[in-house]
Amino acid sequence: MPKIIHYRNKCIGCNSCVEHAPSFWNINKHDGKSDLHGAKNKNGVFVTEITMLDLEKNKKAAKDCPVRIIKVEE
Amino acid sequence: MNKKIEIMAPVGSFEALHAAINAGADSVYFGIEQLNMRARAANNFTTEDLKEIVKICQEKDVKTYLTLNTVMYDHDITLMKTICDTAKEAGLTAVILSDIAALQYARSIGLEVHMSTQTNITNMEAVKFYAQFSDVIVLARELTLKQIESITNQIKEEDIRGPKGELIQIEIFVHGALCVAISGKCYMSLATYNSSANRGVCLQNCRRSYKLIDDETGDELRVENKYIMSPKDLCTIGFIDKLIDAGVSVFKIEGRGRAPEYVDTVVRCYKEAVESYYDNTYTPEKIAVWTTKLESVFNRGFWHGGYYLGKQLGEWSGKYGSHATEEKQYLGRITNYYNQKEVGEFHLETGEITTGDTLLVTGPTTGVVRATVEEIHTDDGTVVKAVKGDIITIKVPTKVRKNDKFFKLIDVAKCQK
Repeated sequence: MPKIIHYRNKCIGCNSCVEHAPSFWNINKHDGKSDLHGAKNKNGVFVTEITMLDLEKNKKAAKDCPVRIIKVEE
Repeated sequence: MNKKIEIMAPVGSFEALHAAINAGADSVYFGIEQLNMRARAANNFTTEDLKEIVKICQEKDVKTYLTLNTVMYDHDITLMKTICDTAKEAGLTAVILSDIAALQYARSIGLEVHMSTQTNITNMEAVKFYAQFSDVIVLARELTLKQIESITNQIKEEDIRGPKGELIQIEIFVHGALCVAISGKCYMSLATYNSSANRGVCLQNCRRSYKLIDDETGDELRVENKYIMSPKDLCTIGFIDKLIDAGVSVFKIEGRGRAPEYVDTVVRCYKEAVESYYDNTYTPEKIAVWTTKLESVFNRGFWHGGYYLGKQLGEWSGKYGSHATEEKQYLGRITNYYNQKEVGEFHLETGEITTGDTLLVTGPTTGVVRATVEEIHTDDGTVVKAVKGDIITIKVPTKVRKNDKFFKLIDVAKCQK
């Protein structure tokens, strides 16, 4: 299954990923950075698996991330 | 006589912080977390670092300013408040901001506020408005000296005071990068890469070379300088007397993304220039020396005057990246320092050192130290040259520390010959 890898620490809270895939992402009200829903935290790197149906919108989120901290692996 | 000019240094790392303090900066400004205009910087400070920076600066009687000047969205408000609360608790001097949400909150907790250049304050009525909340106002970088002088005169004549009860102080940028857009209000990086300058992640695509091609004919318009959107860097070292006479109180140096030796050199030059002004020894000869020194560190070529002297715009950089006359080459780390003998032990991990070379040592507590290699000692005695792998001792009159990095300064012009 494809997976999303999110290097959260470097997030600047621009909201682009939320715009592209709101069912996967939201901005944390506490620290203003993006949260990846249901992701497991591995030393500050957040990872979750997704289905092929959700691939396209998350690829757009990765492409538009200004600090390039979202990776989508097929 | 007015109060002495405050020299404000940009600080993007602990190395740059100590370099600024050692060079004689009166104040430093820095950003933490993501709500500042250098959010992409690799070594951005954290909330914890804020307390440490304030503590270090308070011990040295250096003022501290925190930049909190990006565009802000609803989801940033909690973080903005946390940052303001932490700053207040730590004893930060003031926060530099532009968004009125941040302005309102900072004032509500009694935190001193300075209006950022991002606010684009360009006239007296705006100054009067912001004087209700702010003691220091950074004017837009596109005003001329006459316009600045008119504002400072009106502040005195109309007795415009800030929340502290003192006359409003005017701060301007005196050195460093200029934007092709008005004081950073640029959409180019966002429009092309979804990477907003106004969220601190400008990709600086204005700095690249471009061609102008007519889509219909395919003809290329001849442009003499392809860097048609990359202004040279501002340099005011040659007319700081005019800036002081215009009633400016704070000289701000741009460059939170710059190396510690940049901070060291630029602060020292402007500090000396200001002192020379007060000593009546501000001479063309000294200006020439400072200009040469400023050219040795990162620059895109200098626009001597900027918008302040009302010179016609057209000072484009002409090439990509830095025009610095000196480059630094990494050689290794310090392994020990003997205080009494004032001697450093160096592990040469790469390259070579010859007597007569100029070394640059940088470290999070050391800041920046320059030293000329007079003698090189090894276990086998004195040598003229040391190479990769050698452990050597060299006299360094200023204290350096274990694990500090050291570099050799190289004259770029000589390298290219």
